[in-house]
Amino acid sequence: MDQIVLNTKNLSFRETIHYQDIQIQEHKVNFIVGSSGTGKSTLLRLFNATLMPSGGSIYYREKDIADIDTIELRKEVTLISQSVYLFDASIKENFRQFYEFRGLETPSEQVMLDFLNICCITFALDKDCTTMSGGERQRVYIAIFLSFTPRILMLDEPTSALDQENSHNVIQNILKHCKEKGITVIIVSHDSSLTKEFGEQIITIGKGDK
Amino acid sequence: MQGIVKLNILQFGLVYLLLIIILLIMKKSKINQTKFLMIASLRMTVQLVLAGLILTYIFENPHPVFVVLYIITMIAFSIRRTLNKNKQINRNFKLAVSFSLALSGLFVLSYFVMVIVGESIFNPQYTIPLAGMILGNAMTGVTLGLKSFNENIKTGRNKIDALLNLGVTPKKILLPYVNNSLETALLPTMNNMIGMGIVSLPGMMTGQILSGTQPTTAIMYQIAIMIAICTSVCLTVFCSLHFGYRTLYNKRNQIMN
Repeated sequence: MDQIVLNTKNLSFRETIHYQDIQIQEHKVNFIVGSSGTGKSTLLRLFNATLMPSGGSIYYREKDIADIDTIELRKEVTLISQSVYLFDASIKENFRQFYEFRGLETPSEQVMLDFLNICCITFALDKDCTTMSGGERQRVYIAIFLSFTPRILMLDEPTSALDQENSHNVIQNILKHCKEKGITVIIVSHDSSLTKEFGEQIITIGKGDK
Repeated sequence: MQGIVKLNILQFGLVYLLLIIILLIMKKSKINQTKFLMIASLRMTVQLVLAGLILTYIFENPHPVFVVLYIITMIAFSIRRTLNKNKQINRNFKLAVSFSLALSGLFVLSYFVMVIVGESIFNPQYTIPLAGMILGNAMTGVTLGLKSFNENIKTGRNKIDALLNLGVTPKKILLPYVNNSLETALLPTMNNMIGMGIVSLPGMMTGQILSGTQPTTAIMYQIAIMIAICTSVCLTVFCSLHFGYRTLYNKRNQIMN
């Protein structure tokens, strides 16, 4: 039987969103789908404890996340949010700054290039991020976060700024990398073709479900 | 040197004629602020006349209670004005700002009056005007610092969220905003110091010279008050933001909206 790495019990947020009990399977590609306003992005933020639930509990490896140090939790359960943030600098400098904030040494240029390659970015490392398109910025952002190699990677609408072909390739590469590294993946996406093609577990959440 | 020429009410009234120039320019430039100019001039006149009457009474009947009450009123007004201009900050942040403004102001004022001038803190002639300058500038500084801090936090929301999601502590994320806003708040005071004596003769010095004080003495007072002002701005903004930014997140490292 597949191991459950994250699960919820009677989880609710601000009395407006009530989730059915959810189970995330370890080492699998878990897609979360549902219509707008059902709390998909909120769920991811509850999972990494950047938001506080108003009721119920979340368990990470059977331990209530209310008892886990949130900083350590976020390093293991990392969310790549929909809104991209990059420093107004080169790709290399972006890696450096994000690593500095995490208190880590900047990875080698080869490591940077490898992760950019996974996200189908072929620019030189000194390319200025301010001159990139929305889709390119989104992929650089994902590459940087992916390079921290969390145990659970949560992607919120990772292809929102990409065309269909790019979406397919980027997701395929990311999932291949995660499989190799044993990273559990949770993806919130509106793209039903991605869900059908890559989803190993599809969780549908709906407003008022309990 | 001679003492200051005392203005009679007619001479004094003539200065209001200058307002006509402002009104004409406003009309020509289609600036719709004539009502504001009239209210501002009227309010200033009433407030200063009242302050003048109260100060005359206090100087003629000096008593520590009057000085304490006057200082408390000044602090209360400066806190109220600062908080009114930064309504969006939370309750604990407001407390941090209030205490910082009051304590930093009192500390610098006490040092100036008791250590530098060597007078009693209850001497209204020194304590009240100096408190006005110190608190007034601290208020302007902290208002600017808070405005810059709030705006930067607002525009940096994506950055803050990205770093939080990556497992960076709120302290590490927010401190650069605190330092940046402190710098913004200090710059006008330092710029003022740079231009002093060349671009303008500052208000306090001008006042002292007009009333017959030797320019050398006036200069020493002016230098001292500028350093005191700079210190109180720096201390107030530093304490407000350092104690204040901690109210923006909880023990679970969640940034509160």
